[in-house]
Amino acid sequence: MIDRLLDAARGRVDGADALWRREERTSVAFESGRLKAAGVTEEAGVNLRVLAGGRTGVAGTTAAAPDVAALVERARASAELGERLDLVFPPPSSSPLPLVSTYSDAAADASLDALIQMGRGLVERLEREGCQVNVALEREVSETAVGNTAGARGRYRSTAVAVSADVIRIAADDVLMVYDQHLGAALPEAADLDALVRSIEERLEPALTVVAPPDGLLPVVFTPTGLAAVLLPLEQALSGKTVIQGSSPLGDSVGVAVFDVRLSITDDPLAPQRPRSRPIDDEAVPSRTTSLVERGVVRQFVYDLETAARAGTRSTGHARRGIFGKPQIAYTNLVVGDHPVTVGARHAAPLLGGGLIAGMTDGLIVDDLIGVGQGNVIGGTFSHPVALAYRVQRGEITGRVKDAAVAGNTYDLLKRIGGFGSDGRWLGSRWSPSVLLEGISVARR
Amino acid sequence: MKDRLAAALRGSRADYSEIRLERTWSSAVSFRGRRLESATVSEDQGGFVRALNKGCGWGIASFTSLDALPAMVARANELSRAVRLDEPILLADTVPQTADAALDLDGDVRGISLAEKKRLLEAYNGAMLAVSDAVVDTQASYRDEVSEVWYANSEGTVLSLRCPEVVVSGTATARRNGAIEKGLESVGLRKGWRSVHGLAERFRTAAERAVSLLDAPRVKGGAYPVILDNELAGVFIHEAFGHLSEADFVYENPQARAMMTLGRRFGKPVLNVGDNGAAPGLRGTLPFDDEGTPTQDTPLIKEGILVGRLHSRETAAKLGERPTGNARAISFRHPPIVRMTNTYIAPGAGGTFADLIADIELGVYACGAFGGQTMLENFSFTAAWGHMIRDGRVAELVKDVVLAGNLFQTLDRIDRIAGDFRWNQMGGGCGKGGQFPLPVTEGAPHVRIEQALVGGDV
Repeated sequence: MIDRLLDAARGRVDGADALWRREERTSVAFESGRLKAAGVTEEAGVNLRVLAGGRTGVAGTTAAAPDVAALVERARASAELGERLDLVFPPPSSSPLPLVSTYSDAAADASLDALIQMGRGLVERLEREGCQVNVALEREVSETAVGNTAGARGRYRSTAVAVSADVIRIAADDVLMVYDQHLGAALPEAADLDALVRSIEERLEPALTVVAPPDGLLPVVFTPTGLAAVLLPLEQALSGKTVIQGSSPLGDSVGVAVFDVRLSITDDPLAPQRPRSRPIDDEAVPSRTTSLVERGVVRQFVYDLETAARAGTRSTGHARRGIFGKPQIAYTNLVVGDHPVTVGARHAAPLLGGGLIAGMTDGLIVDDLIGVGQGNVIGGTFSHPVALAYRVQRGEITGRVKDAAVAGNTYDLLKRIGGFGSDGRWLGSRWSPSVLLEGISVARR
Repeated sequence: MKDRLAAALRGSRADYSEIRLERTWSSAVSFRGRRLESATVSEDQGGFVRALNKGCGWGIASFTSLDALPAMVARANELSRAVRLDEPILLADTVPQTADAALDLDGDVRGISLAEKKRLLEAYNGAMLAVSDAVVDTQASYRDEVSEVWYANSEGTVLSLRCPEVVVSGTATARRNGAIEKGLESVGLRKGWRSVHGLAERFRTAAERAVSLLDAPRVKGGAYPVILDNELAGVFIHEAFGHLSEADFVYENPQARAMMTLGRRFGKPVLNVGDNGAAPGLRGTLPFDDEGTPTQDTPLIKEGILVGRLHSRETAAKLGERPTGNARAISFRHPPIVRMTNTYIAPGAGGTFADLIADIELGVYACGAFGGQTMLENFSFTAAWGHMIRDGRVAELVKDVVLAGNLFQTLDRIDRIAGDFRWNQMGGGCGKGGQFPLPVTEGAPHVRIEQALVGGDV
């Protein structure tokens, strides 16, 4: 398909690149402990970008046997309106594409019954009096082909297995929800499912007691989930897109020590057995690991071909494209932690607080916040009510706090990190441990 | 197409089967700053099959290759049979429907060139950029579509629907001395090309607001009497209350059902809330839901008392209530689940906006919405901007107005509702269960909360 499309484009436009992807998903869902539905999805499509008269245009289709000439024409028409851009499609890589394991035969071949059994086992282990358990499993098998008229080609298969579980307890008007997920290219092993169950239990048990929230400027441990609110401004600020737009607070900070000397952030498309790993990006740029922040110093922003052309730099291989629309910048696997970050093959044992609370006189563990991503994220200031948080007093977790809000500024808080936990783990496509931050504004409501 | 559906249904061996086929033509233009980001035309198509057998669960198949339809009908049946259930899934009875609905295309967007759409958006984007040098960035997007849907089920319902949609949105980012503020405008209509002209003033106003916010103080955190403007009141009722009224939240969960018992007092007698999928001309409006049930106006809170909830056929059967036409899917890629349509707080007898603030010595007027999220009974909403209310008058502009609280307490503290009802016809949409964005509309008058917590400097 890619070759046919690029052949059709040659001669009619000045250059082109294309992505073809086929995905098959199988899913089962247990609602309130009962298996209610099983589903399959089959989807295939192609996305074409052309360069014509120094302008780019895109077109995509999910038609099973697309009219390639019509698709090229639609992309060319879209290019007529485009801005001028010195886009250069990368030539074939002089060295072989990196080897990265993205496919598991066992995951691809797992039967529907095997998924159902796995889900049923989880439900049985998580069920308890007065609680509702929901479990969902999804297995995806995909195949991607990418290429351009400069001759670059790439093709790979991927698998992804996502297992998610939540336990909900409603007592009068108090609603408690504890959620976790396991995501990997392979089928989860017994130890992975154990970790999932224990992670939920770890957070459920102490949450059954509700205690009064503290007030004031306090130390707070952000769990790997809770850390999302703190990291989101950085994810935006390190994108080449916000940098060329002038809206990144880190735009002039390459080479500058902006953060605590222990903080490192890396984007790693070569992490083994991660669903977002890949040998080549969606614009045929070979994958490589990119250090974004190293020992507190800003090193690099992420770019795709277009933003790199506008910034006068090279793509870092961070293009992601769907069937419709043009490629966009996206991280692959973000690895966040204490330099040098060591990513374990699997989860560390779940440990609420990450081993960081022993010396804490009074403070919080924040696992989930409400409203992350709302408002003016990139400036770094956040203020959120807690969804799931625990009070720590004299080194012990004393219970769950409700009706509290935490506020701070990412850029100020990450200048001085109180500690990294021993509980580093993958959460979707991000790896991080818990992080202790000092001086978070905590307010009671 | 209907013949294809009928033939595929005849081939189904399941006790109940339904098929939805869709074809969507769409075009989109977007600007970032002065630069055109993209201008594209897309055609998407695909199908969805759902099967149910006695003693079994749902079998679901979605696909982009329509040639696969007969195979997918068989696959859905197999999947259903693989799911064994002790307690059967029942579907509430509905009268089989036969209809061909074609909404007015209002200037068919398929006949307008991309270049014309680009010129229109460029004008709105330019209106934002022209406001001041402090406007350092803009994002503007135009998207339209014409979608055709065919639906049939094994009970005899056969429907077809053609409907348009058009959305124009803009964000202006203002920056000065490290401070960054945003202004948003968004118009979303179940209409066509004729309805998106003459909006430059609204985009200019959004950019002016972003610039004004640069110099505005942060609101001082604390408990205040709060007036929600029409937009924020609409977002609030959708996010904080609407989702709890979706019956799939309670139908399998006895504790949730206890919390949402019909007859429970949720507010003062001034409060009336409903969801109306049949209101003419709105984004959440459709003649039928994605199970073929006709849409309707469903009262949820009447004079402060919980009186109803939103249903699919499955949740209605389980709770012994009637389907309300709220089973919706964002596309053929997803099964229908219980969703809102056009959710509203009904106009009250509290008079005008001026009447609402007349006796407030110190309060906050919270306007527009940057976003809102609810975690069950707790919510957080970020207003786009706010004003202090001092001695019964609207006073200075303030920023970072975040409302947070407990749903039950907050609904109960709504003590006065104005008569100035308005639907907020915006773009965007609602997200649930991985399905985003679903076109919905919210509507409300100005609403007074006697006391609410406003975050800011906490």
